[in-house]
Amino acid sequence: MLTRTLLLTGVRDMQRRPAQLVPMLLGVALGVDVVVALDLANTSASRGFALSAETIVGRATHQIRGNSGVVPEGIYRQLRTELGLRAAAPVISGTVLAPDLDGQPLRIMGIDPSAEAPFRNFLGTGGALPVDFTGFYTQPNSVVVPIGLAQRYGLTPGGQLRLLANDREVRVNVWAVLDPGTDGLRRALDGMLLMDVSTAQELLGMQGSLSYVDLIAAQPELLLLQKWLPATVRLAPATEQTKTIGNLADAFQLNLSALSLLALVVGMFLIYNTVMFSVVQRRAVLGTLRALGATGQQLFALVMLEAAVISAVGAAAGVGLGWVLGQSAVRLVTQTINDLYYVSTVRDAPLAAFTVAKGVLLGIGASLFAAALPAYEAARVAPVTAMRRSSLEDRVRGQIPLLSLIGALLIGCGAGVLFGVPTSLVAGFAGMFMIVLGAALLVPGTTLLLMHVAGFALGRIVGTLGRMAARSVSKSLSRTAVAIAALMVAVSVTLAVSIMTRSFRDTVINWLELTLSADLFITAPVIGTTGPASTLSAAVLPSVRAVPGVQSVETIRATTAFSQFGEVRLAVFDARMQRDRRVYRFEAGTPEQIWDAVQAGSVLVSEPFAYRHALPRTGASVTLHTDHGEQTFPVAAVVYDYASDQGVVFMARAVYDQYWDDRGVTSLAVSVAPGYTPDGVAASLRTALAGSALSVVSNRALREQALLVFDRTFAITDALRVLAVLVAFIGVLSALMALQLERTRELATMQAVGLGRAQLNGLALMETGLMGAAAGLFSLPTGYVLSYVLIYVINLRSFGWTIQMQVPALPFAQALLLSILAALLAAVYPLWRQHHMPVAAGLRQE
Amino acid sequence: MRATISIGFAVLLAAGAAWLWAAPPPAAAVPQLQLASAPVTGFAKAYAPRSFQLPLDNGPHADFQTEWWYYTGNLQDAAGRHFGYQLTFFRRGLTPGAAPPRTSGFATNQIYFAHFAITDVAGDKHHFAERFSRGAADLAGASGAPYQVWLEDWRADSLNADGTRLQLHAKEGDFALDLTLETRKPIVAHGNSGLSPKSAEAGNASYYLSYTRMDTAGTITLNGAASAVAGTSWFDHEWSTSALGPKAVGWDWFSLQLDDEREIMFFQMRRADGTLEPVSGGTLVAADGSTRRLAAADVQLSVADTWRSAATGATYPAAWRVVIPSAQLDLRVQPWLAQQEMLVSFAYWEGAVQVSGTSAGQAITGNGYVELTGYAGSLQGQF
Repeated sequence: MLTRTLLLTGVRDMQRRPAQLVPMLLGVALGVDVVVALDLANTSASRGFALSAETIVGRATHQIRGNSGVVPEGIYRQLRTELGLRAAAPVISGTVLAPDLDGQPLRIMGIDPSAEAPFRNFLGTGGALPVDFTGFYTQPNSVVVPIGLAQRYGLTPGGQLRLLANDREVRVNVWAVLDPGTDGLRRALDGMLLMDVSTAQELLGMQGSLSYVDLIAAQPELLLLQKWLPATVRLAPATEQTKTIGNLADAFQLNLSALSLLALVVGMFLIYNTVMFSVVQRRAVLGTLRALGATGQQLFALVMLEAAVISAVGAAAGVGLGWVLGQSAVRLVTQTINDLYYVSTVRDAPLAAFTVAKGVLLGIGASLFAAALPAYEAARVAPVTAMRRSSLEDRVRGQIPLLSLIGALLIGCGAGVLFGVPTSLVAGFAGMFMIVLGAALLVPGTTLLLMHVAGFALGRIVGTLGRMAARSVSKSLSRTAVAIAALMVAVSVTLAVSIMTRSFRDTVINWLELTLSADLFITAPVIGTTGPASTLSAAVLPSVRAVPGVQSVETIRATTAFSQFGEVRLAVFDARMQRDRRVYRFEAGTPEQIWDAVQAGSVLVSEPFAYRHALPRTGASVTLHTDHGEQTFPVAAVVYDYASDQGVVFMARAVYDQYWDDRGVTSLAVSVAPGYTPDGVAASLRTALAGSALSVVSNRALREQALLVFDRTFAITDALRVLAVLVAFIGVLSALMALQLERTRELATMQAVGLGRAQLNGLALMETGLMGAAAGLFSLPTGYVLSYVLIYVINLRSFGWTIQMQVPALPFAQALLLSILAALLAAVYPLWRQHHMPVAAGLRQE
Repeated sequence: MRATISIGFAVLLAAGAAWLWAAPPPAAAVPQLQLASAPVTGFAKAYAPRSFQLPLDNGPHADFQTEWWYYTGNLQDAAGRHFGYQLTFFRRGLTPGAAPPRTSGFATNQIYFAHFAITDVAGDKHHFAERFSRGAADLAGASGAPYQVWLEDWRADSLNADGTRLQLHAKEGDFALDLTLETRKPIVAHGNSGLSPKSAEAGNASYYLSYTRMDTAGTITLNGAASAVAGTSWFDHEWSTSALGPKAVGWDWFSLQLDDEREIMFFQMRRADGTLEPVSGGTLVAADGSTRRLAAADVQLSVADTWRSAATGATYPAAWRVVIPSAQLDLRVQPWLAQQEMLVSFAYWEGAVQVSGTSAGQAITGNGYVELTGYAGSLQGQF
């Protein structure tokens, strides 16, 4: 259908203006890049988790888990010696920190080699390796280090490694370096220290207990076990834990995907813009071609083919760029997931074919979609009309009412979807996208209106040139509107995300002030992600109490329990100090009444918990598997809590001790007696606890730590935000530059008739400044609406947190400034070029 | 004598033999462990005869690296259906002596493994199984007073103070045994008052005790059907650290119980060049329990038949003529079942045999157990 000649015109055309290809290439590349990088980070995080989970679970079908997070080791012995269950393996799992390995958390897996055979094959296979396992069994603190970790940090057999485990610093011996034989296993085992079950018990202070017992069991064994197992433990499918943990980060990852999609949308504007521009610029040529006999279909195909070729190149570049960027994104995402959800042992990010395909298809698809309208336009018009640009502008103007109507409808639909489908996160994002698109469609109409006003105002202030500037924006609306819309979308998203993050941060700061009422906190270095978090040794509490200046010590136990909703986090606290009334979200009485209820056996649940499990406002209850069977606890109140997006159940220590045998303590909150300074008492405490790995943290420092994690969590959001602005900036830059270049002759004419250099500058800067200002102005309400949606819809549906929305003036001012600045910058190059070109040459343009 | 097989197993075990037992993993995954390990030294060796204190010496000797408790026997039910059984517990010390104290109940320097087999002659079936466990957390262990050895629910427990009466219990899948054993003769100390040399080198020896005739009664369960059985068992207890001559490739070991109340233990160690270790030999136990040491030259052993294992391709001797001129014995020894190969971590043949022949010209019969190693690949070649 396309003749060689036609193709050649296309090629020649590209050769003639290579500079104009750059924005489109960049636009596609950046759009694809963001999608690929985030997809990489997301899939590597979740696949990494799945991989290590599968590897750890091995061929187990079930697990015996304890109601207080651990299984007494005697149960394992009885399984083997009394029940004769052969396919059973004891496992100790936990987390330690390796201060010399960049402070990274490492997973601990303690196994019994002689019980492992049916489950996993980490340490050997059919070919008997001439390896003596004596050290593995008999040398205390012998660990097996995976080869990746060993190579990164130069660990060799016989060497030592410093670990922070619970409240202790331990030097472990690298007994062996393990290469598990396959890439998959290498990845799965990479952040994991393998050791004998006895070593793991000693390292984690779990003497007498197991984390769980792996089983391969069919129906008869399961029935037998169900009858036999004591109430302190329960039988769980092996995938239960994996599923629970796997779901944890889903909302977080969905948010990232949505953000990357947003970046692509911004990229689409850019693509549309550049393709459109390329068509518009070539309308005369295309018209001539039609006049020479090329059919509309051929021209359509030509334009689409060009778009396809350019976008394919851009997409390929985007994939490459995305892979590079993805490495940082993987780190950021993995860091956040480690902070908040679970310790992922997987670190590298292989580029999956699916991710590449997704990026390339999205890039090319978006480009073709964006090119379709201009291509159709080029193909349809009569040759004579095509040669005149004004015809296009006339048409665009004619379509403004329709576009505005569609925009308004989209916004309405978006709002409908947002609030009509109350709990769906996907619907939330869909609604948000509709609103963004709707707002973008409103841009041409409002721009026209704004320019009208601006022309009038500028005319009054600057005179003719002011009016000219405003007019020139309206006159080329087919392109200026797209550029303004792109900039508006990017800036408003930036604005919205920044308002949301700020509000969230402020809310968290307020909450930290309310809840961190003690002066000092004593914690182990590792924050437990699942299972009972690190346990302090029994000696710690008395020695802390004995330090002068310690007025009172409140104990906190962070653990997990199994409920009707699956595994839940359980925070056990002293319940001596009453909570500030402002922490209650829904109250069933006065704070005093709630407190009495908590001491009498009721629990408190955090807001995300109530939201996730759709607890009713009154009369809710939580059923937990205790060491003395299942027990139902009424919910006394819902409290604000931003520590976990999974939700937490709070229980008084006395109540916990009544139903659980676990007497462990995870951390201590110390109040300083009058007459002592927190810093002084902290120093005495550090002296008293010297030799342990416990950290004594002041109220302020803990708050800072919490905020650090918070900021780390939003680091990727910030990075995305910057990227979106970058994409938009390039879009605006290219569009405005093109506009200005197109006007070379016009400007040269003006120079020829006497326009001075300063006047010329003023005109161009006014034009782009006006566009920037328009984009900035439109972004203010859009950004506000989007931030509202992010806070009250997206965040709530993702995490269940209430965020107190703050609307500070600063981000709005920044948004406006950013838009104008971006637009002004865009005028610099064309102006420079104009000034360095003889007027006569300028006049010869076109 | 069985020290050598124990060494073989111990090496395998140390090599992670526990994993061999698993279903074969995907061929691609070949884990490699790099480690810096020094050979363990400090285990005691058997140099000189010593006195034994029973029942204490029935228990473990942690100063020595390897030890095993071996029960074999021939049993019959009321209908005359013949069964053989083997229940063996092996101990492997990873470091000498008692383990240094550690806080974990799983901490240990002892590894146990066990073999259990039942030969069902009428059913033409040899059932066998193998287990491993750490010697900790009450999962496996041994003690002399009271005498007991166990690996999970496979157990030998004494029923009286001196450990001469005991209970054996083992179950695996669809086969199980539950037997009471009582010795009819005093303990036999083989070799030189219990010091049993395995090669000419000093210290290459074990301490070797046996109850050569134990009255046995109880039940054997196959496929859910329990049979009341009675018969005679043989118990070997042997411990050592170094008990393998440098040239040995395998051995043939015989425990024969004749119906004139005499028993014969005899072993020969085969070298790669086809010759035998000169220390090969045995013990002849008289009806009154008195013993006579048999030197290699005292026993003329000739192979009368062979059997080829389809599973390993190994060809084992499958019938012998045993002549002991000094005891006027001329015996034909023949397996109750050809297929009694133990396809465990290390393939060997261990099975019930029947004995017929003449003693001073008079017809005599009996039963026994034979162990044949090094036929499915040389031990020295393997390790």
